[in-house]
Amino acid sequence: MDASSVSEFDYLFKLLMIGDSGVGKSSLLLSFTSDTFEELSPTIGVDFKVKHVTLGGKKLKLAIWDTAGQERFRTLTSSYYRGAQGIIMVYDVTRRETFTNLSDIWAKEIDLYSTNQDCIKMLVGNKVDKENERVVTKKEGIDFAREYGCLFIECSAKTRVNVEQCFEELVLKILDTPSLTSEGSTTVKRNNIFSQKPPVSDDSASGCC
Amino acid sequence: MASSSKKVHKVEDDSEEEEEFEHFDDYTLASSWERFISEIEAVCRQWLASGPKNLLEKGAVPSGEPKNLYKVKSELKYAMKNYCMEYYFEISNAGIRKPADWNSSLHDLQLSFGVKEFMVIAPQSANGVILDSPEASKLLSAVAIAFSNCSSLWPAFVPVHDPSRKAYIGIQNMGTVFTRRFEGDLIATQVPVKLMHLEGLYELFVSKFAFSSSDLSTHFFRVHFTMKLTYKTLPYDDDNEEIKSEYEINESGQDNGVDNRNKLQWDDDCPWSEWYTAEDPLKAFELIATWDEKTVESSMEMAELENVSIHEAHKWFIVPEFSSYLMGDYMGHMVGFASQLGLLIDALAISLDVKFMEDFVSGLFEASGSDKLKSSAVVPPPTVLDRVLKDLCHEGPEVISPESRHKSSRIIKGAPLETLFAQFCLHSLWFGDCNIRAIAVLWIEFIREVRWCWEESQPLPRMPVKGTIDLSTCLVNQKLQMLAICIEKRRQQLDSHQDGVGDSNSDSPSVEVEANEDLSHTLRAKESLIKESHSTSTSNANLESSNNNNTRRGSAGVVETMMLLNSPNYMHAPFTQDPPIMTEDMHEERLRAVEVLGDSFNFSGQLEKDILSSDMSAFKAANPEAAFEDFIRWHSPKDWEDDSSSSSSSRKKWPPGGKLSDRMSDPGNSWRKIWNDAPPLPASEQKPLMDPNREGEKILHYLETVRPHQLLEQMVCTAFQAAADTLNQTNFGGLKNMTTKIDQLYPTMASALRPLQANKFPGDPEIIEDLKRLCVVFEHVEKLITLAASLHRKFLHAPRLSQTIFNNFYNFYLPKMGKASVGGDTNKELVNKKEEVRVNERDVVTSMFIQPSANQSWRKVLSMGNLLNGHEPITREIVFSLRDRMDSSYHAPKSQWSHEQEIETHRMYICGTSNDLRVALSVTSCD
Repeated sequence: MDASSVSEFDYLFKLLMIGDSGVGKSSLLLSFTSDTFEELSPTIGVDFKVKHVTLGGKKLKLAIWDTAGQERFRTLTSSYYRGAQGIIMVYDVTRRETFTNLSDIWAKEIDLYSTNQDCIKMLVGNKVDKENERVVTKKEGIDFAREYGCLFIECSAKTRVNVEQCFEELVLKILDTPSLTSEGSTTVKRNNIFSQKPPVSDDSASGCC
Repeated sequence: MASSSKKVHKVEDDSEEEEEFEHFDDYTLASSWERFISEIEAVCRQWLASGPKNLLEKGAVPSGEPKNLYKVKSELKYAMKNYCMEYYFEISNAGIRKPADWNSSLHDLQLSFGVKEFMVIAPQSANGVILDSPEASKLLSAVAIAFSNCSSLWPAFVPVHDPSRKAYIGIQNMGTVFTRRFEGDLIATQVPVKLMHLEGLYELFVSKFAFSSSDLSTHFFRVHFTMKLTYKTLPYDDDNEEIKSEYEINESGQDNGVDNRNKLQWDDDCPWSEWYTAEDPLKAFELIATWDEKTVESSMEMAELENVSIHEAHKWFIVPEFSSYLMGDYMGHMVGFASQLGLLIDALAISLDVKFMEDFVSGLFEASGSDKLKSSAVVPPPTVLDRVLKDLCHEGPEVISPESRHKSSRIIKGAPLETLFAQFCLHSLWFGDCNIRAIAVLWIEFIREVRWCWEESQPLPRMPVKGTIDLSTCLVNQKLQMLAICIEKRRQQLDSHQDGVGDSNSDSPSVEVEANEDLSHTLRAKESLIKESHSTSTSNANLESSNNNNTRRGSAGVVETMMLLNSPNYMHAPFTQDPPIMTEDMHEERLRAVEVLGDSFNFSGQLEKDILSSDMSAFKAANPEAAFEDFIRWHSPKDWEDDSSSSSSSRKKWPPGGKLSDRMSDPGNSWRKIWNDAPPLPASEQKPLMDPNREGEKILHYLETVRPHQLLEQMVCTAFQAAADTLNQTNFGGLKNMTTKIDQLYPTMASALRPLQANKFPGDPEIIEDLKRLCVVFEHVEKLITLAASLHRKFLHAPRLSQTIFNNFYNFYLPKMGKASVGGDTNKELVNKKEEVRVNERDVVTSMFIQPSANQSWRKVLSMGNLLNGHEPITREIVFSLRDRMDSSYHAPKSQWSHEQEIETHRMYICGTSNDLRVALSVTSCD
């Protein structure tokens, strides 16, 4: 944001985590940022973490916003969608309603509040460590991701299975999308829109699993 | 003809080599004229031998008008004069053309004399070709001799007199027996009345082969006749009142009122007409009606043809005439949104170094030595300023409908078209000449009005007071949106003070609300309202609330499915405070604050904690006996684990069984801490999460001190968006190409405007350049929309025609888009393409030829006949021909005529307007 930080990283990306309360958003974030897992207090409103990573030869600063799932906070969290390059939709594979709410509630919230047309969406099924309690199959997750045009991964914040991959995949996809990288870029590197093809339409920008 | 000449080449190809030795000519003895002839002959032989294909390879050039016609040329010298010989030939010569095929485009000579390939020889001189008749005949006979020497069958033409007369003489060797002679000339003034009419023209033709005038009346000749009439509508620009009355007929079906002569612009009901008037891109239409060949036997018959209805013509074509600004001749000079946006960008470019908008007005800017602001930057007089402000702030629509926006409009950070800031931007485009000083004056006065609304607690015009702040809009719009909400809150406060507090709650004594300084009127109103409705619907609740008369406050009603844990009462949902609203800069401020705090382990937004605390207080007030668990069950149901799977029977079971989730029951849980600290207070008595007075003042401070370049950046984005949204409302009948173009415009604008929104490189000259280019793109789209709208309204009942004409133009125009200047008119024939009118569309086209008013018909003396709604044709072209049956044995066996029994002995092409008459005659005779 400020001038002194320009040299520290090439890109600043804003990521947002949404989903019902108790699906493990905060745990997932903690697992990613500090390699630990613990029982956390429910988020009040919003939480925020920064992580520096190097991916694809680029130094990246990730600002990850972790929102509360409670309905009461929803009107307020809507503002955090603003300018996010990536949105992580989390559900709990052991609780079906957290999965169905993604399409009933959360996907609509994205359409409503996201200011970034090309922003990358990622579907994450958490708590796969509780395999015997699983009620949402992997196939259902894939089908939803395909329909909604987003990335998909299953992981466990507890065992840290796929946690790194989850964020990496999302960030790599963002790096692949020129309109998003130009936003997050800190270096003076503007594309002249008139000397090249018209901007990529959203169809091609939203990936699939 | 081509086939015959090819056969001739073949013979010569074989013998050419030897011939050059055998026919050795001693030019020293020959006269200069003889040398000239042999020179022509040599060139001709060369061309004959090459054939069209080789000539193309040797650099034949397209001749222009008919696309498949090419020419080669050669220069010759004779008697101190230079001559130029040109051979015209066609490349795709599929089939033999009908005597007069009006549908295909032809070279003038082809049309006049009914020939296909031909040769023209003319003197080369800088000041045009002037040949007197003897010189012309001499030249022609030279060609004739040369051609017969090399057995060329090409017709050859020589221009006579000055070029404007288009007079030619010509000759063609048609094989062994026949020779065709050509002659054409023009009467430029004072055409004899007789020759203005079909009857007279017919007699002129007949006189060319009838031996005496007595013959004319007694003898019937079977003369073949075809005709092409071209009409032109009155220019649209001159006679707007006519068009208006026409549309009244079309749309209302009513009779044309005589008094309806108000001067109305053609685009009066187009969305842009609020801001400017566009020149009608369609100047006029030409209607071409053609008659197929028919046989005429007497001049009587011809006279009748002059009264025949144009509806009997076999084919109709329509040719649009586009305004020159559309054709790119005046690129950048069309006044429209694009031109004004360009000026706004200029203003942006010079706004960077100035601190406040006031500086542009006070002259501080000029005094600082900058000469960028020219002294010509005129500010319109106060009357204009008053009118604009009145329109902006006092005449807004009641309801704002965001539905009219284009689906992609949201990707540009501007403001919805109908809202205050978008209208301000559109007004400033047309305020003065959109110079920075005029903008500054308008802005300062505008903000003064806004401040007045705030001080007087008057609702902001053109701003919705409901809903959340749309963060996809520009900051100024967000601020205005928030200000409107703050004003609304203030008004509610004022109302509640004026009304007297007790009134609204007097009939529900169960709820006790005390007047409080920070008390929100809405909350209290809501409380009493819901209280009433619930007291009737759920008697149970009513009973309970009266039981706890003195303690329960701020309940929004009973949560019917839930009993409290510690007392056998239903849970009450409390009224809660609206979450505070924030503009994007406030969000950013929070984000920065968070970043400074770093990713401390247990960060949670203070604001969210305040909200949670507020909710808890309200819950405690509404449920005096409630425990923390009760709050969690209501607020975060997923953190409460029911003992049994809930069913309807367990609804009223008390106490409810279950426990908090692990994370909620954690001893260090921050929720419980907040719960313990929260006092029981209904929302209406709490300190408000947002103070409208404070926030409102902050917003006005922002608006009054906004940096000029920040304002201008937002204005540019908003103005582009609003201009596009305005144009997008144009009704053009859903032309597909146009819709696609508009769909493309939004992403293009979005990506060009993005650097402005990111606010990263203020004043980067490259950004300004990009924006200028965006203006050019915008201008193209604007022009196309103007055309589409104009076409749509003219062909309301023949959508196919408007679509085809638009597509033709679009295809012509498309390659030029994205270029600053439209150079050359290489594709002009694409634009002036004839479009066939189908029979069911003829009425629409006819209705465009409205009866000329007395004033208009007075200008012209009608003289030709063949009227269409009182319009005379602008040109009338006729081809007469006379054919004779010939014995095929007469002809050369290789001749093309062998399979056609008849040959055209006489042909006359006549092209007449009301002022002149051109006649071209070809006569085939047996010499």
